[in-house]
Amino acid sequence: MIWRTAWHEWRRLTAGLMFWLLLAFGQLIIAWLAFAQLEAFATIAPQLKLSGSSLGVTDLVLIPTLNSLVLILLLSTPLLAMGGFAGEAHSGRLTLWLSAPTSSSEIVAGKIVGLWLTTLPLLFSGILTLALFGLGMQIDWPRFALAVGYLALFCLWLSAIVILLSALPDHPAAALALSYGALLFLWLLDSISDADAPWHWLAFAAHLEPGFRGLLRSQDLVFFIVSGLAASLLGTYLIARRRGEL
Amino acid sequence: MEALLYIRELSHGPVTRPRLRDITLQIGAGDRLALLGSNGAGKSTLLHILSGALAPAQGDVMLSGRPLHRADPAARMRVGYLPQRIAMYPDLNVRENLRWAAQLRGLRGLALRSAIDRALDEVGLQDLATRLASRLSAGMQQRLGLAQATVHRPDVLLLDEPTASLDPLQTRQIRDLIHTFDQKTAVILATHLLDDVEQLCNRVVVLDGGRKTAEHTVSSDMDLLAHFHPTEEKSA
Repeated sequence: MIWRTAWHEWRRLTAGLMFWLLLAFGQLIIAWLAFAQLEAFATIAPQLKLSGSSLGVTDLVLIPTLNSLVLILLLSTPLLAMGGFAGEAHSGRLTLWLSAPTSSSEIVAGKIVGLWLTTLPLLFSGILTLALFGLGMQIDWPRFALAVGYLALFCLWLSAIVILLSALPDHPAAALALSYGALLFLWLLDSISDADAPWHWLAFAAHLEPGFRGLLRSQDLVFFIVSGLAASLLGTYLIARRRGEL
Repeated sequence: MEALLYIRELSHGPVTRPRLRDITLQIGAGDRLALLGSNGAGKSTLLHILSGALAPAQGDVMLSGRPLHRADPAARMRVGYLPQRIAMYPDLNVRENLRWAAQLRGLRGLALRSAIDRALDEVGLQDLATRLASRLSAGMQQRLGLAQATVHRPDVLLLDEPTASLDPLQTRQIRDLIHTFDQKTAVILATHLLDDVEQLCNRVVVLDGGRKTAEHTVSSDMDLLAHFHPTEEKSA
């Protein structure tokens, strides 16, 4: 049932205008930023060559643009997810979900996977734009591939977080505000907290950055997997409580 | 004869202000039962519980002897539910909305496709199968809701105010449609419209303040209005 729910979520989200607007807007921004970075790189490239610097197009064009892509995903995903549970409750459809002969965990997992599948076109349209630079420039492909892998995992984690937050209120606008607030806090946590502080572990930006530098660290993977699973379990708990099962 | 649906001492809500109190009911196959009561009487909460969407705080609901709310999905597959607000996705077409409802009730593959076609035929939406749900009239949306509730051929059909927001012609069409349902299907209909009770049901249970205050067989000479506000009747 997880895959059927995921397919339904993907179909529901891609049938709406919001997805296509976000895809077009995201693609426009990424293309603009990438070419702006490229122009700046072209200006300093001769000096870099003269100074013998190892910095290339991957460091100065692709990775900064991928950082912007993270921001676009942070802004887009809550807009898609606000219809997750809050939208279903607001429009009266949640009753049918809750009365289905399906477990709460399957419903939550299906919604997370469905949202993740919907964010992947947003991610990969940007990735494709950047990968096309490889046709005429020297790209550090292993590093770029690792960064893309990290971003795909980040999208799954983000989907779990915003689906959990959409299960809290009954109004999509409240879910959206809650998601933006929580994600902004987690994003800023990297810069406002000390690196040794225990809560710094929650700063997702600190777990993405090594992947962008070409480092595959088990602690970053553990962060995304463990906190994503925790969000799924909490979401399942909230739905089971709505059903009166707990 | 064993009851198809057996509701035993069902209560729900906070102890200080319960929404349902000690409801016991038996519904047999083919019964057409009306839950009659004013707003806040507990009709929708009871249907919510019978649909499996909400577990009761106390009491049991048994469907053919199997508990509806324990870890037994098979029992819930035999219930169809039309909520007060039609559960549809406006950006999906009629067929896609129906497919979602059928998949939620466990239909797969060929059985899914044939069930969708049959349900569309039954409610007269075959020609509008590719139309977006948001572009349907209120009456057509109600037909879609009925198709969603019956697509898996349930043994128990729960209808929450099926004609409440419809004009007289649409109301008649929906009532005609309900009459065409399989006579073995038990229908439980929550309403505050006396016409719905008279025309669609053979039994009526009156709810007031979450309690069952009366239960009758519907007959042509019955004064339903006298049962509508039982609290006022008693105090008068």
